[in-house]
Amino acid sequence: MLKSSLYQEEQYPSPMSQTWQEFKKSHVAFVGLCALIFFIVVILVGPFVTPYSPVEQNTDALLIPPAWAPNGGISYMLGTDALGRDVLTRVIYGSRVTFGISIFLVLMAMLVGVFIGAFAGMNRGVRSSFLNHLLDSTMAIPTLLIAIIIVAILGPGLVNSMWAITLALIPQFIHYTRDFVRAEMEKEYVIAARLDGASSMHIFIHSILPNMIEMLVVQGTLALSIAILDISALGFLSLGVQAPVAELGAMLSEGLDVAYIAPWSIAAPGAAIFLVIVSVNIVGDGLRSALRNRLRH
Amino acid sequence: MTYYLLRRLNLLIFTLLVLCLASFYLAFLFPGDELTNLSGVRFSTESERLQSFEYYQFDQGAFLQFIRYLELLWQGEWGISFASNEPLLQEISTFLPASIELSAYALILSLLIGIPLGFIAGLNHNKLTDYTIFSVSLLGYSVPVFWLALLFIIVFALQLGWFPISGRLSLLYDIPHQTGFIILDILRSDLADKGEAIKDAMLHMLLPTLSISIVTSTIILRITRRSVIEVMSQEYIKAAYTRGLNHSQVIFRHGIRNAILPIMPQLALQFTTLLTNAMIVETIFSWPGIGNWLIQAIYQGDYPAIRAGMLAVAGLVVIFTVSIDIMHKLIDPKRLNRQRVKI
Repeated sequence: MLKSSLYQEEQYPSPMSQTWQEFKKSHVAFVGLCALIFFIVVILVGPFVTPYSPVEQNTDALLIPPAWAPNGGISYMLGTDALGRDVLTRVIYGSRVTFGISIFLVLMAMLVGVFIGAFAGMNRGVRSSFLNHLLDSTMAIPTLLIAIIIVAILGPGLVNSMWAITLALIPQFIHYTRDFVRAEMEKEYVIAARLDGASSMHIFIHSILPNMIEMLVVQGTLALSIAILDISALGFLSLGVQAPVAELGAMLSEGLDVAYIAPWSIAAPGAAIFLVIVSVNIVGDGLRSALRNRLRH
Repeated sequence: MTYYLLRRLNLLIFTLLVLCLASFYLAFLFPGDELTNLSGVRFSTESERLQSFEYYQFDQGAFLQFIRYLELLWQGEWGISFASNEPLLQEISTFLPASIELSAYALILSLLIGIPLGFIAGLNHNKLTDYTIFSVSLLGYSVPVFWLALLFIIVFALQLGWFPISGRLSLLYDIPHQTGFIILDILRSDLADKGEAIKDAMLHMLLPTLSISIVTSTIILRITRRSVIEVMSQEYIKAAYTRGLNHSQVIFRHGIRNAILPIMPQLALQFTTLLTNAMIVETIFSWPGIGNWLIQAIYQGDYPAIRAGMLAVAGLVVIFTVSIDIMHKLIDPKRLNRQRVKI
């Protein structure tokens, strides 16, 4: 411990905790984070609190309105759909599928993207130049378009749509990792490590990766909102999850037939997608501006 | 400059070749006979198959087969569809303009909404106006486009009855297909009551256009806002103020140009996002566009149509992207590479 520490506190805050301080200053971002945590809790404990099964059909209770409507009942909070399934249960299970799979897909895409991006960033020459050109053209194409094309090739289905979205998300992670690694490679601390005889792998894992985590989290939230939108869009087009499985997008397209007499059957799943994406985007925005503020100080 | 142009064209040709190769290879990946997948003809006799075997030069090596495929693509023989037995190129040229039309109007609308609001928010950075616009834009940015379209249909078409639910034009009008762009077709037709027909087409177009442009206009708003904030904190803006220019002079002489120029290609590139969203919205509004057509083809397992549709949409997007790049280079030669914008 240094004797003459200019900083008054006992511990000097790490960059990560500085970002957290900045993030906490924005109330909106904090509320967004709470909402996001709420959704994560729901997808974790959802199956234990729902009274019905998502595929259980009850022919005595078709198209019951939500609890607050005059002829609704308290036993079905958000009403039932055309097959007598509880909408609230299906929304909870649907969020599990939509949100849970999206998180998984983003993590997969991040892993592959960072690996390839680091490789491209540390190498120069023909290999990486070829990758650059290919990336620049794929970056401009929306991920959903790539996903639709890949699903068209592989055929509809949940696993195929998961492959499609992962493949479509990878280019942006490669792009950002490559740019970041390339910028860091010029800096003194990396050169110092290199002069000490560290291998490329060692430099990447011990010097560059810790600096990159924040950037990855921000990009991850962006990719997460894209992934949620894409997977529910594919579900809505019946290209992703198939019929009996509860998935928010697929629920929307099922509710389409009865939308006029039972608007709640499309309002509830749509609102769930919307709220999840809003909270993800608020957290993403909050993180981005927290990082920007920290770097400015 | 010439070097840059050559490199871009090189990239364009290379990417298109890769796309063609992918679409050629698809015929082998799809289930069923590869010749059937390429031509779209279901062979009933062996001699028919042999004839098309020779036509596609399948007796030659793989490379020559691909060359022959390119040649046929160039001549416009893209095969025929399983579902309708129509030539695919003709089908695509009927459906693609409808999608382009929808996306183009939506792009214009989003630019008209997004840029001014982005400027207002950016110029009032860290004030109440900025916070309000920015928060609302966050909502618009997060809304799933297919849900928004459904809500629009329920509220404006079913409950209020202001707009038609689906389709492109009322069945009362019989407009011959010429260009595929509905307004142009109406103007070029010999209809007695063109004004009414255009009004009807506009009413049909309003809900789909609005539902896809809300998402895009918020993206444009955020890009513009970020760019304005960055430009207004530059040294030359401070210098302009110290020279005694007033607020509006600074904004109009230095602010707008420097803020818009770097983000122009990004704004134009939103067209591809729009096209994708249009493909989804088309299925909801039964709009006779490429997205609706392609998704029907996927349902029906119409492999020649999937192959051709993929080639057409991806080719369009790639050509559009590269031409935007080149145009931006022409307008702003100082800029070396396309940069990613922040939002």
